[in-house]
Amino acid sequence: MIPIAGLVIGILAGFVFDVSVPLELQPYLPIAIVAALDAVFGGIRAVIEGIFNDKVFVVSFIANVLIAAFIVFLGDQLGVGSQLSTAVIVVLGIRIFTNVATIRRHIFHA
Amino acid sequence: MSLLNDLFAKPLDPGYEEAAARRRAAGERPTSRRTWRSPALALGLVALGLLLTMAILQVRNTASVVSSERQGLIEQIHNEDDRVSRLQDDVSALEAEIGELESNLLQNSTAGQQMREEVETLQATTGAIAVTGPGVVVTVDNAAEQSAEDGTDRVLDLDLRQVVNGLWSVGAEAVAINGQRITSLTAIRSAQDVIQINYRPMSAPYEVSAIGDPRSLARDFGDSSGGTWLREVASRSGIYYDIDSEESLTLPAGNTPLTIAIPGEGS
Repeated sequence: MIPIAGLVIGILAGFVFDVSVPLELQPYLPIAIVAALDAVFGGIRAVIEGIFNDKVFVVSFIANVLIAAFIVFLGDQLGVGSQLSTAVIVVLGIRIFTNVATIRRHIFHA
Repeated sequence: MSLLNDLFAKPLDPGYEEAAARRRAAGERPTSRRTWRSPALALGLVALGLLLTMAILQVRNTASVVSSERQGLIEQIHNEDDRVSRLQDDVSALEAEIGELESNLLQNSTAGQQMREEVETLQATTGAIAVTGPGVVVTVDNAAEQSAEDGTDRVLDLDLRQVVNGLWSVGAEAVAINGQRITSLTAIRSAQDVIQINYRPMSAPYEVSAIGDPRSLARDFGDSSGGTWLREVASRSGIYYDIDSEESLTLPAGNTPLTIAIPGEGS
């Protein structure tokens, strides 16, 4: 329940405080979200499999977000930003799908 | 493909496995109890929710700004259009008023009436008022199938100039192209592949209407410079042209404002 409460608090905080992202960081926001999703689903799967670790989760969360944003930034500088975004999304998307599928199997046994 | 295989086989961060193995080796449970209540996981989800909301709000705001900007521009265009048509109405009302006042003034005496007729003839010649009469319409159109890369199978401004000159030379008294009266101030020129007459963009087909004796105009135009030019261009590049006699043509008044030049010799 606590993780779900955290998600709700985060969403509410976003609406209440109405934080606006600086213009230069806007292109990296969607990629950062996908990276964060990957880390969160990985964490949930680890919890279910009984091997969750706070430190690993925090480090993977922050590192995922920063590296994904950095790759896109680098791509923008090299003129291949959209291609590298696609690459990041494909890799993280595959991981998210596989992790969510495992979580689903653990929960529903199907 | 081993990278992709890796991705499918081990989607979970290997760090979890390693940390659990270390704890097992140290004789502890692989993970602390009650991992669902881990503050790190909760914080991560708070961050995720925050990021999501920020991104969604951002996209919404941008979209609404763009659409409201477009709405503003559309409104502006409509307003300016309305203003232009209002002003044009004003202009024609004022012109009608001027004409009426002139005839009222000149009607009173024979000399005045003579002068009024003279003024109207001059206005008709210069294109300041609309004229009606019999004449011919020369229709010029682009080639039916446009294949030439360099656009030589399209009507050029030069072709229209030749047609207009040819019509003048065989006795046309007033000429208009697609409803634009040709006056002494008219320019027939092309800008970026679009022919402009009186600085208004025109598109094919071009109808060059000329008032004059329909029989002699139609007969002589073929031998004039314009007719020869058209024949040559048509045979070379497939441009279509046609000459029709008309019982009655009405050519509109041209736009001939003089701002610098003052009528008369001055003193």
